[in-house]
Amino acid sequence: MSQRYFEDIATDDELEPREQLPTEDKAVEFFGRDNPTNPAFGDAEAGRRMGFGGALVPGLLKLSWITNYVGMWAGSEANLRSVRVAFRRPDIAGRPLTLAGRVVDKRQEDGVNVVELEVVTLADDQPTVRGNVQVEIPSRP
Amino acid sequence: MADVTESKITDEHRAMLGQRSDPIEVVPKTADAQRMRDLLGDTDPRWADGTGIAPPYILAMMEPRLPAELSPQVLSSGILTQTEWKFSQPIKLEEPLQAVTQLIDVRDRLGGRYGYSVLVMFQTSYLNSDGEEAAASLRTITQFDRPES
Repeated sequence: MSQRYFEDIATDDELEPREQLPTEDKAVEFFGRDNPTNPAFGDAEAGRRMGFGGALVPGLLKLSWITNYVGMWAGSEANLRSVRVAFRRPDIAGRPLTLAGRVVDKRQEDGVNVVELEVVTLADDQPTVRGNVQVEIPSRP
Repeated sequence: MADVTESKITDEHRAMLGQRSDPIEVVPKTADAQRMRDLLGDTDPRWADGTGIAPPYILAMMEPRLPAELSPQVLSSGILTQTEWKFSQPIKLEEPLQAVTQLIDVRDRLGGRYGYSVLVMFQTSYLNSDGEEAAASLRTITQFDRPES
């Protein structure tokens, strides 16, 4: 994991896309096997009964992937301020997701370097989650 | 689907705005943090084993159910459509936090692809033992009436 510095970041910089393969097993493991959760996360048949094409990918798992994706890009000296996501379409387990992002703003607020990013999850090139992330990034020493 | 041109939000619904739940104690668990880090492949040294710090996505394990007494039921069904996490301080593992949830907005959404819907927004604040907010989450539920089949 490398560190990114404010001076080296420009608006429209793109994050390297990262692919994730959500599965029923990952959904169950995410919340813990002893922790009851929505049956549609771990059971394709339950998802189909709810009108979806299979097991649903938990929104909080996708939000966590986005949080981690930006965190790994920014580096361990950065501070995550906020992450906001809109769930646009359901994702189905077994269908690969691509995380992609770009810098949409960089500014200083009260002496703090703030970088804002737009992040998206794509399934079959269609956005399923859209997010905005604000992260505080240090200046180059 | 019939067009709805008037709000179905009543004064009774609006009266719930600003009300807060009783605090609920939530504890960021070491085992949860470890499991989630491993699953996500997170190698950030700030919340590695032994640091006592939780990764930010630990909030996924801590979010309390939305309290029924603060949830205006304007339409029959609802789904989570937006979530925001805000972080003010590092979250310490095994240190209890008090989660307080508040209804912060309820508004109509007239028109749109799915017709009339209602957006209901909740904020949950996670307070440390000094009463300071360590993190907060905002959840938006979109309520709608299921079409009759």
